[in-house]
Amino acid sequence: MSNDQSSQPDTLNSAERATIDASVAAPVILFFGTAIFWLLFGSFFELISAIKLVWPCFLDGCGLFTYGRTSVVSLNALAYGWATPAAIGIGLWLTARLCRVQLARYKSLMAAGIIWNIGTFVGVAGILIGDNTSISHLNFPGYSTHILLLSFILIAIWAIVTFNQRQSGPLYVSQWFLVAGFFSFPWLFATASQLLIWKPLQASAQPAIAAWFAGGFFNLWLAPMGLAAAFYLIPKTIGRSINSQHLSLLAFWSILLFGAWSGTSRLIGGPLPAWMVSVGVAASVMMIIPALAVALNLHFTLDGHYAPMSWSPALRFTVTGVTMLVFTWVFTAINSLPAVSSVTNFSDITRGLNLLGYYGFFSMTAFGAIYYILPRLTGKEWPSSCLISWHFWLATTAVLLGVSVLLLGGLIQGFALQDIGVTFRSSIEFAYPFRLLAAVAALLIVGANLAFAAVFAGLHWSLRRPGTAPALIAVREENSQEPVAV
Amino acid sequence: MNKLTLLFTGIFLTFGSAWVGLVAYPVANLGHLQPLPNEETGGVNPPTVSGLAVAGQKVYAANGCMECHTQQVRPDPLTTDIAKQLGKRQTVPRDEIREHTPFLGEYRIGQDLSNFGARQTDVAAIHRHLYSPKSVSPWSNMPSYSYLYEYRKVVSQPSANALQGLTGPRAPKPGYEVVPTQQAEALVAYLLSLNQNYPLPESPEPTAK
Ligand code: HEC
Repeated sequence: MSNDQSSQPDTLNSAERATIDASVAAPVILFFGTAIFWLLFGSFFELISAIKLVWPCFLDGCGLFTYGRTSVVSLNALAYGWATPAAIGIGLWLTARLCRVQLARYKSLMAAGIIWNIGTFVGVAGILIGDNTSISHLNFPGYSTHILLLSFILIAIWAIVTFNQRQSGPLYVSQWFLVAGFFSFPWLFATASQLLIWKPLQASAQPAIAAWFAGGFFNLWLAPMGLAAAFYLIPKTIGRSINSQHLSLLAFWSILLFGAWSGTSRLIGGPLPAWMVSVGVAASVMMIIPALAVALNLHFTLDGHYAPMSWSPALRFTVTGVTMLVFTWVFTAINSLPAVSSVTNFSDITRGLNLLGYYGFFSMTAFGAIYYILPRLTGKEWPSSCLISWHFWLATTAVLLGVSVLLLGGLIQGFALQDIGVTFRSSIEFAYPFRLLAAVAALLIVGANLAFAAVFAGLHWSLRRPGTAPALIAVREENSQEPVAV
Repeated sequence: MNKLTLLFTGIFLTFGSAWVGLVAYPVANLGHLQPLPNEETGGVNPPTVSGLAVAGQKVYAANGCMECHTQQVRPDPLTTDIAKQLGKRQTVPRDEIREHTPFLGEYRIGQDLSNFGARQTDVAAIHRHLYSPKSVSPWSNMPSYSYLYEYRKVVSQPSANALQGLTGPRAPKPGYEVVPTQQAEALVAYLLSLNQNYPLPESPEPTAK
């Protein structure tokens, strides 16, 4: 184990921790609460879309709920309504704790949270009334992206100020990821909005930029924020430090370097210079390096200490989430090899990998973080361990089911689309049973999210008497040495 | 890695390198493509399209057609797009210059439409399909765009542009007719304009094997 100071998350005593937590509580709860609303909203639209693919008569002939709008609304509501605010909430709390400063400019953050949600609402409404920009992952019309960017600027200013006030000492690995995420997101978002929406370039220049944005949104924004949470929560919950500083460094820099270039791999054979695609493919394959570095580092950290996963919801969700991230990167690497992607591109495999990355990794990790953070902010315990358990198993089953049917069905669909002897009609018929199961997975996700919303509501409105023991999802082993939470 | 400035510089450089390659490079090199003169017709390649077709791009975007249809023909021998007659040659950046947003698409839940205008020229058939895809292809999972059409009572004379030969549950009752709105007309004009059958030097047609 490394003796480096910075492999310790923080060395605060509990009173200091409590003051810092209390100072960030209001904005973080605002971000989490609204995020959970959009999570429900988005997954509900995802369910509608998944049903429509197998049963097109469902809500048909109505412009507001046509497939081309519901599927776009679900993706964007989840990306900007749920994932981004959840990442911001986690980021605010972690920044305050790791920089060991009490929150400054509390009001500007509350304003940022409210503005952000107005922007999301306007964007979703804009898509529904027909102002979709048709740029994947950035479908919100231009008038709403201005609002979102304004909100994020407030947050970024706060983050810069807080990092500058931080108490001296080595930067912990989570802080690297936080800086990277808070830095990348506005740059990605502002560049793409400006060049593709506000003052669009000639269309011939747009594909590379759109792909760069979509790749960066996951690899440079959500992945760093999720990993920042994981690298803090895992050592905290099991009471050990991160195994290797070197592996952390390797993971961090390889994510930044290759993640930034990885987006264009999905445009294989597309209308852009071939070298851009080649670089994208190379970078996507190289994402194996951070995948292994993260997996090994966290595994060695957890080795022999996996037991708390059975009772701590935070640890269970986080470790599951990071495991799915490793699989996302490995599958994406395989899927971007030209021999594979020439068959699988444009198939349901893309939907499967999105599900794995956005829900399997990011949402699960964010759930874990929220399970950890909220009781500390509110001083209350989660109301029902049974519901948490339902949440976990529904979500995990949904991801495993959804991803496996979409990957398998997508493979068959891809071969059908590629084979000269197979008609187009067959590609739809082959995909049908898999899409049916994918709709079941979408239903399970709605169920999981409802369970999560219910525990959140229960905590918020104090359905549990104060002073009771933490909600553990299984009985803690007697004479166990691990502290549950610090 | 304990210095914020060091960390920040590193992030700036890695992020910036990709930004230069994938953002600044296309802005400088692909953002000002011009159509090429066409000696045969005296026009240009790609040909200019009508204002109605340009309006149709907005309808295409608004209704999320891109969620199910791609618009890119990928090259031989990497893929079988050309063998499957989705187009005669690979789609290249210059093909996109007529669009506001390139509708490349990520999913082929429906067919590729890059050259739809080259294989279908029957306007009435396209309207019937958009109004009720299932009446044309019963196995289709394409949504109905009936909301881009007006379902109304025939007053004195049936309208000249009313859809003919509709079958299935969405067919009008006697005394009623289905008339395309401005949006539907624009969308169809746009679909008809999707045709990359003009030569571009940077995208030669593969020679027959
Ligand atoms: C849910 C997915 C979906 C959406 C959204 C969708 N389509 Fe389709 N489309 C299909 C499928 C599947 C087919 C093939 C079956 C058929 O002909 O109906 C198809 C076929 C077509 C065809 C015939 C293609 C050919 O080569 O014969 C056209 C034209 C078309 N769609 C246009 C559109 C337009 C315009 C929109 C948006 C207003 C749209 N589609 C939205 C799924 C979709």
